[in-house]
Amino acid sequence: MLLPRHVACVMDGNGRWAAQRSLPRTAGHEAAEAAVMDVIEAARSAGVTWLSLYAFSTENWRRPAAEVDILMRLVRRAIRKHAPALHARGVRCRFLGMADPRIPQPLVRDITDLMTLTGDNRRMTLTVAFDHGGRRDIVAAARSLIRSATPADQVTEDSFAQHLPYSDTPDVDLVIRTSGEQRISNFMLWQVAYAEWVFPQVLWPDFRATHFWECLDTYRRRQRRFGDVRQSTTLTGEGHR
Amino acid sequence: MSRTTTAETTDVFGADSILRRLVGEARWGLAVTRATLLEAAHPQIGAALMENSTFLTHPWRRLRNTATSSRRILSPDPRVRDREVARLNRLHARMSGTDAQGRPYDATDPEARAWVAATLFESTVAMCRLSGETLDAGEMRRLYDEYRIFLTLIDGDNEHLPATLQEFWPYYDHVVENRLENNDAVGVILYRLLANVPAPPALRGHPLVWTVGRAVAGPLATAVIIASLPEPFCRRVALPDLPGARTLMQGAYLTAGLATRYLPESWTRVDSVMGLLDPSSATPWDTVRRKAGQAAALLRLITPAPAADDQQVVLSADRFFSEVLDQTGDGYLRWPDLAAMAREVATRLDLGEQDEERLFQAYAAWWRELQAALDGDDDGRVTRQEYAAAAASLPGAGLIKIADVLFDVTDVDDDQKIDAQEYRDLFRTAFGRDLAGDGSYSRGAFVRQFVSFMSGQEHSEAYSTLLTQA
Repeated sequence: MLLPRHVACVMDGNGRWAAQRSLPRTAGHEAAEAAVMDVIEAARSAGVTWLSLYAFSTENWRRPAAEVDILMRLVRRAIRKHAPALHARGVRCRFLGMADPRIPQPLVRDITDLMTLTGDNRRMTLTVAFDHGGRRDIVAAARSLIRSATPADQVTEDSFAQHLPYSDTPDVDLVIRTSGEQRISNFMLWQVAYAEWVFPQVLWPDFRATHFWECLDTYRRRQRRFGDVRQSTTLTGEGHR
Repeated sequence: MSRTTTAETTDVFGADSILRRLVGEARWGLAVTRATLLEAAHPQIGAALMENSTFLTHPWRRLRNTATSSRRILSPDPRVRDREVARLNRLHARMSGTDAQGRPYDATDPEARAWVAATLFESTVAMCRLSGETLDAGEMRRLYDEYRIFLTLIDGDNEHLPATLQEFWPYYDHVVENRLENNDAVGVILYRLLANVPAPPALRGHPLVWTVGRAVAGPLATAVIIASLPEPFCRRVALPDLPGARTLMQGAYLTAGLATRYLPESWTRVDSVMGLLDPSSATPWDTVRRKAGQAAALLRLITPAPAADDQQVVLSADRFFSEVLDQTGDGYLRWPDLAAMAREVATRLDLGEQDEERLFQAYAAWWRELQAALDGDDDGRVTRQEYAAAAASLPGAGLIKIADVLFDVTDVDDDQKIDAQEYRDLFRTAFGRDLAGDGSYSRGAFVRQFVSFMSGQEHSEAYSTLLTQA
């Protein structure tokens, strides 16, 4: 009952995980796959209906080309490997961002296929932020709003949100950022406005269902006020902005 | 039937036009296929088809364009009708020359055009008869008159088509028995087109399913067409008479007739069926197609990805040659190939005479440039080898000119930007992700992308669909 409707994960710590084991950074990305699948399943079985994962930011293109290249291959391999299972479990997959022409064509095709395949599923919506930037989404919404020629005095928070990519996505209730880092990093800026944040110390490749449940537990114990001082609530953020 | 002032402003076919009803039905495709074969056997038309048409390499595109064109000519709106007639005439005016035996042909030849109308009429009658729907004497006369109007609209007069239905049948039998021949075009349609027909856009994703299905359906379709042809023609052209073919043919027509009568109308309309074949348009088949799309996506995802696939972003010069440049599929790059590209763009954008002329001029200039640079042996055509050898150093001025004109004609509101709607008109798909961030295309970006695609340097999904869609 006191379950967050929308949980988002900033999957941090792959590089450090690999460095601790004297492995190349890419080994960390490789190990992250198991954590991703574990969290998807944990969220789904816990009854979370919206899960978002921050996989690749617009800033990540600055990483060494070889690392980016391997990362793209890993994503493609993971998609092909897990697509039937995700579909069978009723997960609708979406990719947020995806604007850069540097994303390899075969990966784009597989991502499109995955979105087509799972488009009718409703049990849980998994949004993978890939080549994503929160500010860019807001700019895109502003452009779309200007193009729609809405008079300035008719622009409200709700009407603005309608122009964001995947505008049916509800506000994020809980953000989990692993590895102890405490930054927003340009992630779904509009949607995290009222989110609760938790910062477990565990590195993402080691993050498992139990850690996820702990985070849900922390969320349940938080008092969400949405800016109000008179009453406090531990309900989900539904209906609030 | 003359074109009077009243005819200009009113619906010349009448509100209850039989032809308009039949053309809207998917089964009319059977009549068109049969008529195409009888047309191809006419020496003039056969030559024009072999020399200029892309029906062998792009049959689905051709079928869709024919359906669209017929619908426009039969439109109750005289502006739509006249515009299409003018476009068709400009298109045909560009098709003349000499065939392989040195005989001249001309796509605007009135006698040949009358034969096209004649075969379409007779095939429509045959279709109705074979699918168990009889046209009574009055209806048949009306249908014939409508075909005569059709011919008048296109040709300006209809002198070459007999005035009455009574005179028509002797004329028809005479042409079948004395004028038709067993030429290359007939052979190509019967034995190459149906055996090698490329997958419709919706089935591109599953080549295996298509190849297996075609291996069974191709010969059956050939047998059905042959069995439905007039006996004197089969004799003259020495077509095989296979046992059971007549029953199969009658079964096929009867099924089409029953389907038209008893299935929901929205299923058997020609646009629904065309929509099913072409995933880029919206029809009542959306649910079925979405399910099929999901099945195809799953199939692609679970099929092991070839390792080389990761790197394949650029088409090889050789593949680019056969998939994009060689529109007529004869293995050479000649003017008709480039003209076919210009024609496809002009049809899609429904260009007016001036714009169309500019586009053709631009393509012609590029052709001259290509010939000068690539046609090493000066035989008026560029071979695959000549192209592959020099692909990297192709001249660019002609291409830039085409891109410029293409930009101008696509940018209908002249705001120097291709917006979402204009993009959709040209490519029949929504904006791709290769678009600038503000949701429009600048001239510079448009020209750059077109030139790098056409010179085979960069792959573009949108242009591939525009120019390779079968």
